This record gives sequence, C-alpha cells and structure tokens, in this order.
Amino acid sequence: MDNILSFLRNRCTSVEEIDEHTLKSTCRLQDTLMDAVVEITVRLPDLEITDVKGEVYRSCRKECRESADYLRKITGVRIGPGMLKIIKGLIGEISGCKQLVFMVEECCHGVILSFTKESLVDAPRPRDIEEAKEFYAEMVRENVRLYNRCAAFAPGSSLVEGFDLQENS
Amino acid sequence: MHKYSRNKLISVRREDKNTLIVHGVLDDDIYGIEQNVRISIPDLEVLEINGKWNRWTTPECPRAIPVLQEAVGFRIEEEGFSGKVHKIIGRKACRHHANLLLECCYSAKEAALIAKWEDKKAENKGLTFKDFINGETKNTAPAQVEKPASAGRDFVQRDEVKKKSFNKKEEGGTIIDLHMHSSPASPCSSVPVDQLIYDAKSIGLDGICLTDHNYVWDKDVVDELRQKHEFIILRGNEITTDQGDMLVFGLYKDIQGIIRLEDLRKEVDKAGGFIIVAHPFRGFLVFNVGELGLTPEKAMERPLFKYVDAVEVLNGKVTEKENSFALKVAEGLGLPVTGGSDAHEVSEVGTYATVFPVSVKDENDLINALKTGNYSPIAFKKEREKIKR
Repeated sequence: MDNILSFLRNRCTSVEEIDEHTLKSTCRLQDTLMDAVVEITVRLPDLEITDVKGEVYRSCRKECRESADYLRKITGVRIGPGMLKIIKGLIGEISGCKQLVFMVEECCHGVILSFTKESLVDAPRPRDIEEAKEFYAEMVRENVRLYNRCAAFAPGSSLVEGFDLQENS
Repeated sequence: MHKYSRNKLISVRREDKNTLIVHGVLDDDIYGIEQNVRISIPDLEVLEINGKWNRWTTPECPRAIPVLQEAVGFRIEEEGFSGKVHKIIGRKACRHHANLLLECCYSAKEAALIAKWEDKKAENKGLTFKDFINGETKNTAPAQVEKPASAGRDFVQRDEVKKKSFNKKEEGGTIIDLHMHSSPASPCSSVPVDQLIYDAKSIGLDGICLTDHNYVWDKDVVDELRQKHEFIILRGNEITTDQGDMLVFGLYKDIQGIIRLEDLRKEVDKAGGFIIVAHPFRGFLVFNVGELGLTPEKAMERPLFKYVDAVEVLNGKVTEKENSFALKVAEGLGLPVTGGSDAHEVSEVGTYATVFPVSVKDENDLINALKTGNYSPIAFKKEREKIKR
C-alpha cells in the first residue's frame, strides 16, 4: 500500500546531572525491529565511564538479545577524542550487536554535546552576524583542532579567513 | 537536572520494488536537521540526498549542505562505510549531518531486510521474519573476557622530579620527531613514507620515528629506507589501549584491536621497551577547565600514569593549553617529557620533536636514551624559524 511506512525508528538520547561530579546519559531506541535502552554513568572531571547498563526489550536478533552484558567492558574508558575506536575495539566484535555499540556511542556524544550546549549558552549573545563570526573565529584560534574539521571551519569559510595553521599551532 | 536531549526520527517507505525513500529528522538542544535520502534495495546504494538545516550554530554551517552530495554512490554494506561517512561527510560537511545520514542509512538497511522478507513471503507464506533473518545473518560468538594483569616498571623513578627546559640540541646530540604517521600504513595519513622522510630531512631534523597506528614496520624495509635516504629512521608504534593512545618503542609485536594498558605494559616490559602516553589531554580542554573542574592534581591521579614511562607534552595535533596541561601533570609526577609532530600531512612534519643530548643512530640507542630520562621536547619548526631570522 502506498505511503504506509515499512520502517520507523525513534531514538532519544538525554543527559542528566545526577550530582556535581556525576552525569547519566541514556539512549532509548524504539523501532520496527528493536526496543532497547543503554545508560552510562560518567564521572567528572575525567569524563570516565563508571557504569554501563543495557537492556534489550525486543529484538529479532539473538546476538542483540544476549549482548547487553558485554557493555560492561567499557567501564573505565574516558569520553573524548578517540573514544569511538576504543569502544568499538573493546565491545564491537564480542557483542556482535552493532546497534548496542552505536547506542553507547550516542550516549557518549550526548555527554560531549551537553558541554557544548553549556558553552554556547554561557557565551555572550552576538548582536549581529559580524560578532557571531568573530566569536566562532576566536573559537577556532583557541582550538586549532577545529580547523578544517567541518565545512564551517574549512578553508574558504569566513570564520577561518587569514587563519595561519602554523602560527596557531 | 536535565542537561541535554537529542531526538531522531527516521521513517522509511518503499517507493517501488527497488527503491526506499528515507526521511530523517534530528532535533536537539543545539541543532535541527532534516534529510531525504533515496536508497536502492538490491545493492543498498545511496542514490540521492537532500539535506537542510532548521537550526544551526555558526554563520557558515549552511556550507555543509552541498557537500552531502559526496555521499551519493556510497554503498551501505561496503567495508568501512561508516568510517567513510565520518571522514567525508563528518569532516568536510558536518558531523551532525553525518550522524543523521548514518541513522538514515542503517534504518534503510533494516527496511531493505523487511522488503526482502516481504518478497520471499510472497513465495513462502509461512516464512516468519525471525526465521528469515536467522537465515540471513550470522551470529558472532562472544570472546573470552580478558583478565587484568599487574603492571611492572623498573626504570622510571617517580621521586626524581626533573624540571624540563626546552633546550636546543647540544654538541653531538640528536633531534628526532618521535611521532609521525605515513600512508598507507596509517589510513588517516596522507603522506607516503618517502615524502615524510624527504620533508623531515629538508627541514633539518636528524631523524624520525615511524609510529603508525597499530602497525609494525618490517626491519628490512626500514633498513632499506634508511640507506636510500641516508637518514635516521626508527620504528615505533602508536597502539590504542583502553586508556588512550600510547607510543611504544622496542616492542615489535603486531597488536590489533584494543589492548588493556596493563597488558601492554606487561608486553613492553618483556621486550625491554618504552611507553610514552601520546597527547594525554587531547580534547579535554575544549570546554574551559572550570566547567569540567579538571586540575593537574586531579589529572595526576589517572591510573594510566602508573603504566607509562614518559609523557608527550608537545603534540602537533592538540592545543597549546592541552600541551601545557600535560607538561604540568608530567612535572607533578616526575615523568620524562617528549615532543612529536603527530604529522598526518606534509605541512605538519617536524612541528615538534625531541632533543636528545646523545647520539641516537638506531633503535637500541633510542631505547637507551629514552630510559635515561635526559631529553626535552622542542617546538622544532618555530625554533628553526627564529634561528633563520
């Protein structure tokens, strides 16, 4: 039948502050084939994963129904650059359930984005586009790693005009 | 208290026997994105993408939209598909668009499976999805859980806190870039090894260490390179552990996957090698330190520092703040400090290096020199420019 969906996916990731030193990031997935939740507890300031829980409520794949216990192997890993390689390396192959591994990654990204949001909320509100450009240009100068990491910070963008990689590194 | 939410909604419908239409929406506290993707069912190839921003941050984020077209032709089941999306769409367009595109593509993969089952069911009415899928996919046998191992280290003396100055080379000393990546040994590098050596030599370095990711260079190949270029070329390895990346010298075992740092320490001790923790605070100071509350004192408590012999405090891929934070931590722990460019591109060769006061001609010399703790990192290119002026 036309216009009837053959697949629908709903994924929600949320980050909650438990106390001054602890965050909890939860990824909930509900789609046509799977219903699962992954929750990680993260300790500040190291962003170290101190606990991981996973539960698969519904899946037609045996490897997913039986994989949640393997998630514990990532306890001790710190959230930050290079974490995806570490997470995939520790649980990617043994769990056999790509979806659960992806949900862990989503939880970790959520934690990083919660800090990004905080920085943006705390930043002074630009009065015009020139001020906004200057704010982000300064951000690249401060964090040289951002240079050429996306279209907005790539050569040709007004945000990196006159940026000298060598001078700023 | 709630800090952040991201919602993604993906819907897939079958346009015709061979085509899926995917609509993806990403909405979080920061971004609002939509994508429409057409995907062929038989080979799971991306046929068409249209993306748009509803909310974004920088005034230049809209530049990402045309770049999405570079994913047309990608096949979801080809090897390294998600890596390709991260590398091409994530880095050239936007990582949030890459995230949504992956979500759309993997949803399409599931929808294609349902479509194939529906087609099979037309021939075999009793076929359940569960039976169909078990015939299509293989289960992966779980591996054994690794046992933790105790660490041993005999030559780094913690009580000997040495203040390191960024000295220039002494008479008879050697300046080596201890951290660089060549292509194709490191897939993330764009510099062929001959080019890397040519550049290192032309800017005045005395030698380099090839530290490709989890890659052991063949001794004969490196000997040949050394003779061909008449230059000091040494073998190292950047090994990814559960505690981050480690520069390892003197261990020539091919280690694949992620190894526990405790286990790596054991291997390196057996081989009489040396471990330097690479860029230990990469990315940690992107948000201001106050927000995370990370102080050098707290950072010193990280268990990883029990297992390493030295700390890389000048790395070309991190910010100045992150490098100086690493130096404070290393000084606090009394660990020796090194520098390396972490070059992945030609322009990056020799940004930073390590100055040894002694002659280092081969890998044995390097290990012996590293174990003395008597060396210092240098901002090689900047120092060189100053001397030129």
